[in-house]
Formats: sequence, structure tokens, C-alpha cells
Amino acid sequence: MQTFIAELLAEQTRLDTPVARFASAHDSGSVPQRSALNSQLIPLTAPGPGEQYAFEVDLDSCTGCKACVSACHSLNGLDETETWRDVGQLVGLDPAHPFTQTVTTACHHCEDPACLHGCPVLAYEKDPVTGIVRHLDDQCIGCSYCILKCPYDVPKFSSRLGIVRKCDLCHGRLAAGEAPACAQACPTHAIRIVTIKTGMRRPEYENRNSETGYRKTNPLSLTPNSEPRTPNSAAAAAPTPNSEPRTPNSTASAPFAADPESKTQSPKPEFSVSGFRSPNSGFDPSVSGLRSPHSGIPSSGLRSPNSGFLPAAPDPAYTRPTTRYVSRRPLPPGLQAADANALRVQPAHAPLAVMLTLLPAALGLSVLSAAAPHKASSWVTSGAAALGAVGLAASVFHLGQPLRAWRIFLGWRRSWLSREAMLFGLWFALAVAAATAELRGFNPSLPQNELRILNLAAAGVGLAGLICSAMIYVDTRRRFWRATQTFPRFFGTAALAAAAVVAPPLAAAALLAKVALELSTLRGGNLSARLQRGPLRGLLAVRLTFAAFAVPALLAGLGAWALVPLLAGEFAERLLFFRAVDAPKMPGQPA
Amino acid sequence: MSSALDQLLHARTGPMTSDLVQRPADFGLGQIPARLQPAATAKSVCGFCSTGCSLQVHLNAAGEAINLSPDPDHPVNLGMACPKGWEALTPLAAPDRATVPLLRNAATGQLEPANWSRALERFASEFKRIQRDHGAHAIAFLSTGQIVTEEMALLGALFKFGMGGLHCDSNTRQCMATSHVAYKQSFGFDAPPFTYADFEESDALVFIGANPCLAHPIMWQRVMRNRRAPEIVVVDPRRTETAQAATLHVALRPKSDLTFLYGLAHLLIARGAVKTDFVAAHTTGFDAFAAFVAEFTPDRVAAATDVPVATLHRLAAIIAERERVSFWWTMGVNQSHEATRTAQAIINLALLTGNLGRPGTGANSITGQCNAMGSRLFGNATSLLGGYDTATPAHRAHVAGLLGLDPALIPDRGGYAYDQILDAVDRGEIKGLWVIATNPAHSWINQSRAREILGKLDFLVVQDMYVTTETAALADLVLPAAGWGEKDGTLINSERRFGVVRKVARAPGQALADFSIFKLVAEAWGCGDRFREWSSPAAVFQILKRLSAGQPCDFTGIEDYAAIEAAGGIQWPWVENRSAETGDRKRSESLKSGFRTPVSGLTERRLFADGRFFHPDGRARFLFDPPRPVPEPTDDAFPFTLLTGRGSSAQWHTGSRTDKSAVLRKLAPTVQTVEIHPDDAAGLGLFSGQTVAIRSRRATVNAVAVVTATVQRRQLFMPLHFPEMNRLTFPAFDPHSRQPSYKACAVAVAPA
Repeated sequence: MQTFIAELLAEQTRLDTPVARFASAHDSGSVPQRSALNSQLIPLTAPGPGEQYAFEVDLDSCTGCKACVSACHSLNGLDETETWRDVGQLVGLDPAHPFTQTVTTACHHCEDPACLHGCPVLAYEKDPVTGIVRHLDDQCIGCSYCILKCPYDVPKFSSRLGIVRKCDLCHGRLAAGEAPACAQACPTHAIRIVTIKTGMRRPEYENRNSETGYRKTNPLSLTPNSEPRTPNSAAAAAPTPNSEPRTPNSTASAPFAADPESKTQSPKPEFSVSGFRSPNSGFDPSVSGLRSPHSGIPSSGLRSPNSGFLPAAPDPAYTRPTTRYVSRRPLPPGLQAADANALRVQPAHAPLAVMLTLLPAALGLSVLSAAAPHKASSWVTSGAAALGAVGLAASVFHLGQPLRAWRIFLGWRRSWLSREAMLFGLWFALAVAAATAELRGFNPSLPQNELRILNLAAAGVGLAGLICSAMIYVDTRRRFWRATQTFPRFFGTAALAAAAVVAPPLAAAALLAKVALELSTLRGGNLSARLQRGPLRGLLAVRLTFAAFAVPALLAGLGAWALVPLLAGEFAERLLFFRAVDAPKMPGQPA
Repeated sequence: MSSALDQLLHARTGPMTSDLVQRPADFGLGQIPARLQPAATAKSVCGFCSTGCSLQVHLNAAGEAINLSPDPDHPVNLGMACPKGWEALTPLAAPDRATVPLLRNAATGQLEPANWSRALERFASEFKRIQRDHGAHAIAFLSTGQIVTEEMALLGALFKFGMGGLHCDSNTRQCMATSHVAYKQSFGFDAPPFTYADFEESDALVFIGANPCLAHPIMWQRVMRNRRAPEIVVVDPRRTETAQAATLHVALRPKSDLTFLYGLAHLLIARGAVKTDFVAAHTTGFDAFAAFVAEFTPDRVAAATDVPVATLHRLAAIIAERERVSFWWTMGVNQSHEATRTAQAIINLALLTGNLGRPGTGANSITGQCNAMGSRLFGNATSLLGGYDTATPAHRAHVAGLLGLDPALIPDRGGYAYDQILDAVDRGEIKGLWVIATNPAHSWINQSRAREILGKLDFLVVQDMYVTTETAALADLVLPAAGWGEKDGTLINSERRFGVVRKVARAPGQALADFSIFKLVAEAWGCGDRFREWSSPAAVFQILKRLSAGQPCDFTGIEDYAAIEAAGGIQWPWVENRSAETGDRKRSESLKSGFRTPVSGLTERRLFADGRFFHPDGRARFLFDPPRPVPEPTDDAFPFTLLTGRGSSAQWHTGSRTDKSAVLRKLAPTVQTVEIHPDDAAGLGLFSGQTVAIRSRRATVNAVAVVTATVQRRQLFMPLHFPEMNRLTFPAFDPHSRQPSYKACAVAVAPA
């Protein structure tokens, strides 16, 4: 028995040597098949001037199998938990239009990529020919700002590498005449690569809700000639061709498919269905003919039944995503992302919260030294430098690749983060110089106004840096981080720190005002309000408790000691600032 | 110099860039990341669902699997796979794999590591003690549709012919028992007649209780390749993904399908759509059936099913007027209190309209598990190995002769079905249970009672890949099993196609292939001598060929595994010496044609082209019974009907494997959800994302609400992949197939 067990255990570990299989696998002759498939899924020529590559997703053909996500993962060799494609659902709430639609999303390779504009080290490039937004993995410092900038939640942080990675449209496969992994893997050929015209005015992209910055409903989703479909009415009534659900052989049966340019079927041409392909034309070139790269884009501009990008998706006017979601049928009204009500607590970014508490406080002291040197105690200038040192040191812990951070000046032309880093760096040098000068201030040979100039320079540079700090977040266009919240919060910390030193009662009053401003975000049904009232209420309580200690401490004249509860409360507020933000994304899973 | 400066400032290359750089791979794989370049590939049929997709496993120089992609040359999947297939290797590396046998320490109550010889000794001594104290039939096993055919056959033979057991069943009782019984009674043998080419060849496809978009996405691929502009009819209470893709969705009242199908038969007969030649030549019982359905008038059917009379007429017209009509059903039919008659009502429609044996036709049951078909043929549970009848002495003698056994070793009657085994445990009649690769503590209907019953056993053995399944947690002995990808053998898919699975990874620790475990049990039991010829899966395949000879499932023409692989899988029947004479269409030609034309050669074959069925008289039977009311109707206290089913294509059953993949976990909800109609949600003050409590007479569970109009008013839908759902379900069973009726029970819902 023992021998038998040992024998079977040994047998279990024995694998066939690949050599034996090599020959048989080699002559499988699969290459031609793949090539035929590829030629239906990618353009045959490179984009010309004013054009770029883009994903086209045929919503009618997508049945929600999600093979695209795993194929992308497997064929690109991604990390175990890393996915460059995501899937979600649109759900119909209108009882007259029972409807769900799976939505597959990768990078939209935007015409105006927010990630690229935000990157402080120019780790993003938009390929001048293909329009592919590529990420330079060895350039990335892992600051994750692109994650905050992208409204579609596309860049993903890899903790293994300490950098961000994302979809590159399988540019290597495209160059070799192969379709991207997701397109190759779709059983119903719902994903393909098309060439689109760029730089065109898209009125439907400019119709955004000014209050939120993101349009929640899509006015174009209600097509003029849409007909309600109910569970039984579609069956009972002889349906009109327009309301007929898709059929596999749509090329033959669909009224619109025969002539993609036809506008006669639709009373309002701007809502017509031209510019999309019939769902299954990709299956058989002999039936539909291979579409030329441009044939899907009528000269009048991008038009599809779903030309407003996608219902329940973030506003496309911001970054001009190029992915085209096309459908042969009008999408029903009242579509909601399946995760519309999901409360997603966002990352705390603790090192950033430390930095964004201590640096404003340091700047407050720095400004105090410059503006009212007679009122500032001797420790204020050196205190500013010390707090600044700790704050800047903390920020380094936020980076996945801090050793590459010396390149951070590269992006100064367009990245607020790059500007902030440079200005704070300069401020710190000035603040240290000022503190050193002040410590040596007893030296009569040092002209007093030199110290004053140093202090003034530090204050000016520091305030400019703090403006950049606030703009980093304002520039993400997230509602919770709007200017009327972010500026008062950041500058409020600076003012509170300065006032706590020279005018504690004023500081107490200012703190109450600032807390009132913060509490104003609790009202209403928006995500940030619900996050703070719900999963983050503990953190909110901590913030308020520290404020409740800070106010009497300030009034009691505890001097600098009042800074302790004050700054602890500001730190908690900054954590809330990060955790409660309404991060936009494409439609997701229900739970 | 400037390029060096440029690289310094702008690192376009480097180790992290190289991490993803691709280069062309061999084996027709296209561009593959350099670090994942395979040294060779091996083909293996997927081990999740019954579609039977071939996967091309990428191997390193040591022969270990490092990646996989779908096989572009296989006639089933044509280079595609669903996410489960793409992720098939990932669950093998899960940290909760069973790596050593575990024995429960009576003193501490904990499972503790043991070596194989002690585990086997304990297995044999406990089960023998139970047999001594409580009778030979006081032990039972519950097996699976997830292991290879050769293992199923060895297990069934070992248990019945070696260990003297009688009562055994498998989880295919939960999915395919109905189809098995329905086909057997109607056709004379459990023989799904179709081939996947029929999806492409139909003029009308009628899906009843089936959601292939989610459950069988690669079969749906074939529907989308249909170029005959077919009508696609979906009969389902929910507006599923498939219903949305249909040309006609019939949203009938839950569990009214039998009445609905009889109503269709009534209309077809009334409009003279009966193919009288076919019915006269190849069936019996039509006149009685016609008389029976006479009373299923459209008005009566409409009232009972909520399907408008006009829709009934429209569907009848589609079936009557289209040349090739195929009917497809899955769990919506099979899991019902009157499942067998419902499946047969579908078969009746195909029979009376002559939609059998021709391209694009058929009454076609889409199977669930990867080897449910293997279990149906060779599980040795309800029928004898190879589809023989256990109660017929001649059959027993024949099988005993083929196996070199004393016929007296073969039990002369069938054993209990799954539910009856659990009832017998409850009564104290069965004291020892061996559970192989299934998870009844999660998946069995009215789960709380199932767990309670499992607790009554003297000795529970769980043989599984994972120590963390709900059932393994209850075990007295856990035997660590190798999984798909760690062993060899064959699976049989929905269209009767044999496919080979290959060992491409090493099992962790001391985990062994189920085949090896069964061999060890035989030795430990002392009956190893009876199974000397069963030395390896390949050897057992030859035994099974012998058993199939002369049966409808005759596959004596398949030489060995290599022949199956070379042909891209082979469907039964494939009779010895026929391969040469039927070489009417070579595989390469059919590949080129894209299977647009029916093939009768090696690649694609359907049954009953000659109208000969497997009953002795060669005729198919019209079988029917009056519909019965749902076992647990709704009432004021429990006003909602709870529907259950597959939630996503990324999840497989109780998730013991699919939950182990981080990618698959991202593709579906991670908690139990419940879908509710917007009007009901508004009435109860519920919203999407809210946690709600679902209450049945058996339990109350929490779920996250998903408000959607795809469920009807007063209906809820819960996916089956989470343990909560089956605490609610009502234990009703089809009387013929003993399959549980998971699909409808009465519940109430309120905010949690």
C-alpha cells in the first residue's frame, strides 16, 4: 500500500515534456484563420492627418460574457489582480422598457487626455499617428495623479511596480496587423478598432450639467422614433421594424443596415443611426463588405443613436473620449449605472493628507513672518521651515517610485502638480534660508531687510505653491473638490495656523466658519454627502471633536499648544477631503 | 549624446517597459509578452460548463502551464472562450487548496493533517464498520459532473461492484436528471440529438428557460453566426440578456411553461401544422396527445400563463411556417416540479412538427456541467455503465461479462436519488457519505436542512480541491484532490462530443487525481483485484468503449485520446470501422466552410436523420400529464415569487473555483444580490444598493437590492452563486427525474 501511494504521488507530479508536443502544436495551421479575423477587426490602413484609432463597441452584439476583460489580462500578461478593461451595466428603471446592457470599457484614448495633462513627469504620450495614449512605465513616478485626473477610472496603480499602468490599445499587436486582445477574444465581435476623425465639434459633448460638471442623463438616449417595448407588447403586437430587437442576420433584415448613411428612416437626421455598423457585419465580409476605415464617420460629424458617448457615463466634453458605443436600436430612457448608488470610499492618501496639513500651516507661519515680523515670535520662521520639512518628507511616501521624482519639473507647462512641486521646493529653500538668517539674526552685519526680502519671497512663492496645490484638485473637475471648497480649505489651514499664533480668538472664529463650510457639503443626496453621513461618519466625528477642542484651546490662550488640536482636526478634515470625493467612473457592477 | 539625455529625461525603455513588451510567439498565438513565451502548447477541453471549449495551454520548457488561450482550430469554440475558460488555470494556485488528507480529531473537533495511508485506513474501517452495523447499503456517495468520465466510471464501479454499495448519485441530479429521463422515456435512450451547427442552421430558435448569453456564451456565438435571419424566441419570465437579443420574448408567468407548451401544441394542431407523415412513421401516442391538448385553448392558456393570445398565435405561426425550427432548453425547464413532462412537451412540439433529424432542428437540452453527459452515461447511478438497465438480468450479465466480474456483484435495482439519499440520512438509514467534487452544503435546495442532515452522519468524507468549501467544513475526513489541468481523461459535452483534458500542472502537496484516490480506496478496501484492468484513465477509456459497443452511444470507432484530439473532439455514436466509410467531409473542408452546411462526417453529426428512435419499435413517444399547481404559491404573507439562476458568465456554481480568480471576482457582484421591479421597490421604499431582507418559510437572508425592470412585478431574482439563496428555496422535486425545483418559491422582501 505504501509503495502504491508513493507511486501515485510520483506519477501525479510527472508532466509530459513539451518536446513531444512541439511538432503537433506547430503545424496547427491556425495563423490564416486568425489573420482573417484580424482583418475584420482593425483598420487596414494607418490613420491619416486629423484621424486616430479608437475602440468601437457594438452594444447590440455585446451579451455580457466579459471575455474581453480576461483575454486582455491573459494575453497582456497583467498582474494577478490587474485588469485594464472593466465591465459594468446600464440598468433600465422604466417599467415600459425593461433593459440591461453590459458596458465594456478600457482606456478611451481621449483626444484631450486629462491623464496626460496632469502628469508631472510627462509619462504620458499621445501617439501623433495612431492617437494611442501611451504610458511610459519607466518614466512614471507613481504619484497616481492621473488616476484622479481620468474621469473614467482607467489608469490602475500596480503596487508590485509602484507605478501606474493602463491599456495601450495593444499597439504592438496593431503594428503587427493583429487585433487587440479584447477584440480578438470577443465571441460576437462586438469590439473592434476603427479610425475616427479628430478635432471635430461635437455639440452633444458640450451639453453638460454645469452644476455637477458631469451629465448624469443623456438627452440623446431618447431617440425621436423610439418605440416602447414591454415584456409582452413586443411579442403581442406585430412590431414595427424600428422597435424590432436585433436579429443575428441584421444585414439582411435591419432596415437601417443596408445603407448606413441613410437618413430617410429618421425624422430628425441629427439623431439618425448613420455611422454605425450593423451588429454582425464583422462576421462575414462577403455579406457586408469590409468597411473602409472612414466609412463609418459621416462628414457631418459623429452620429450614432448613442452619439452622446454613453448614458450614465461621465461627461465626454472634458477629455473627448474616442471610444464609440454604437447601437442599432435606440437606448431606452431612464438608464442608470448599476452602481449609481454605490458608496465607494476613496483612498485616504495619508501621506498627502499629512503634507497638505503641514505645508499650509507652514506657509501660514511663513506669511506671518513676512507680513508681521514684529508680531511673530522668533520660532515662527524656523517653525515654518520645520513643518515644511516634515510635510515635504511625507509627500515622498506618496510616490511609488520616489527615486525618479527628480524629473518632476518636466511637466510644468501643463501640470499643476509639477508646478506645485517646483514652487514648494523653492519655498522650502527660501524658508530654510530665512530661518537660518533669523537664527543668525543677532549678527549685526546681516542687513535686516535681507531677511525681510527672504521672508517675503518665501511667502510669495509658498502662496503661489498653495494655489497650485488647490488647483491640482480643482483641475480634476470633481464636485467635492470644486474651487469654492478646496481653496477655503487649503488656505483656511494656512490662515488658521497664522491666526492661532497672533490672534487666537480670530482663529477660533475662523475655524468655526471653516467647519461650517465643510458641513455644508453634508447636505443633499450627492455621493460626497452620503459618504460623509454614512461610511465616513466616524472620521467626520473625529474632525469635529478636534475642532471642538481647538476652539476653547484657542480662546483659553494656550498659545502654540492650541495648534495641536487645530492641526489634528485639519488633518482629519484633509483625510475626509480625499476619502469622501465623488470619483467619477464608467458604469460598474451592482454590488 | 542627445538620445542619452532624452532617455535620461524621458525613459521610454527600461525594465518596467520590457515587462509588457510583446514578441511574436509560435503555435499561431500571435504577439505574446516576452516573459510569457511558451516553449510548447497542449490542448485541453475546459472543465467548467458543458460547451466543451478547447483551450490551448501555454507550457514552459518544464512542461508547466504558464498561460492559456482558446484553441482557434476547435470546431466547438472557434478560438473563443468565456472568462471562466480564460481563467481556468488560476483556481489551481489558490492558497486554500487541499494539500494533505485531513482527519477530524474527535477530542478537539478540528481537522488535522494525516498521511494518505492513515486516511485510507480510516476511510475503509469507518465505512466497513457502518456496513457491519447498519447494513451494506448504509453508505452512499454524492459525486459530480466535474470530473472526467473515466473517474466517474471507476467510482461507480468501485462503489457498487467493489464496496457493495447501492445508493449513489451526483450533482447532475441538480441540472440534467430531467433531460436524461425525458429523453430516455421519449426517445428510448438519453440522447440529445443536436450538434452545435444546428444553432447556425435554424430558421427559428426557441429558447425555453435558457439564458445562453450568460450561461453558454460560446454557444451564443454560434447563434450569432446564423445567417438565415432566424426568429429567436426566448420563453423566460425575466427579460434576460438572451431575451433582449431575441426577436420575440415571451415573458410568461413562472412555472406556467407546461400549460404554455400544451397551448402551443393545441394551436399547431388546430392550424394543421402537424407533419402527419413523420408522426405516422416515427411516433406513437399522437392521437391521445392531440385529444389531451384539445382543452388547452388559447384563452385558457393565456389566463394561466399571462401570455397574450396574440403572442401564442404569433409563436405558433413561427413554428408552423419556418422550415427548420429548433427548441433549446436549460435549467428553467429542468429545475421544476413537473420538469420531465415540460421537457417532453418540448419534445412533443418537435415531434409533431417533424423538427427532428434535419439540420437546424431538434428538441435540444443544453447541458450544464462539463461532464454531465459523462455522468449520465457512465456514472453507474440510475443506469448501469453505458446506459444499460440495472433491473434487467441480461444487461447485468452482459456488463459483468465485459468487466470480468461475477454478475452477482451487480445490484439488481437502482439506488436512491440525491434527495432520497439525504432523506435516508435524515432517517438514520444511511450513516456514511462520500462527497466528491460537489458542495451540497451550499448548493442543495433548502440548504439549512441539508446541512442539518449532513450533521447526522457517522462519517462524512469530502474529496475536493479545496478545504474551504461549505461541505468540507463539515467533513470527518477530507481527501485532497487534483483538479482540472492536473490530470488526464475525457469529458463529454452537450452535443455528445468527447474531449480530452490534459495534465499540464502539478497538484499541490499530496493532492492526487480522483482516479488515483479511487484506485487507493479499492486497494484499502481489499477489492483492488477486481479493477486491475482499470489501471489508468486511458485504459478505462478502452473499457468504456467496450461497454458502449452496440449501444446508441457506441464510440468503439474512437481509437484513443490522440484520435479525439486530432479530430477536434468526436461525437458519439462513432462506431468502429465507420470512420473509413464515412469520410464524406474532411475536417479541413468543414473548417473552411465555417460549418455553414450540415456535416455528417467526423466533425459534426446529429441523431435521428433516419427517423429511427431507440425504443424497440423505433418510434418516439408522445408523453404528457396534466399540469400541476406550483408547490409553494404566493400568498399575502409571502407575496413574491423568487426566481433563481446564473448571475454572470464569470461565476460557476458555488464559486469554489471561480471565486479564486481575482479577475473573475471583478466581473460579477461579490455579494448576494436580488433583483426587484421598480414599482415594487417604490412601493416598499427600496432602492438599488440597499441591503434588504428576503424571507421565506425556511429562512431570512440579506441581499443587496438591484432595481430593474427586467424582472416582472411581484417577482424577485437571485443569482445562485452565493450561499444565501438556497436557504430560501422550497424543496419540491420532479416525480420522474427527482430534480429539485430551484426556480420558484414564495418569499417576502423588506428593508433589512
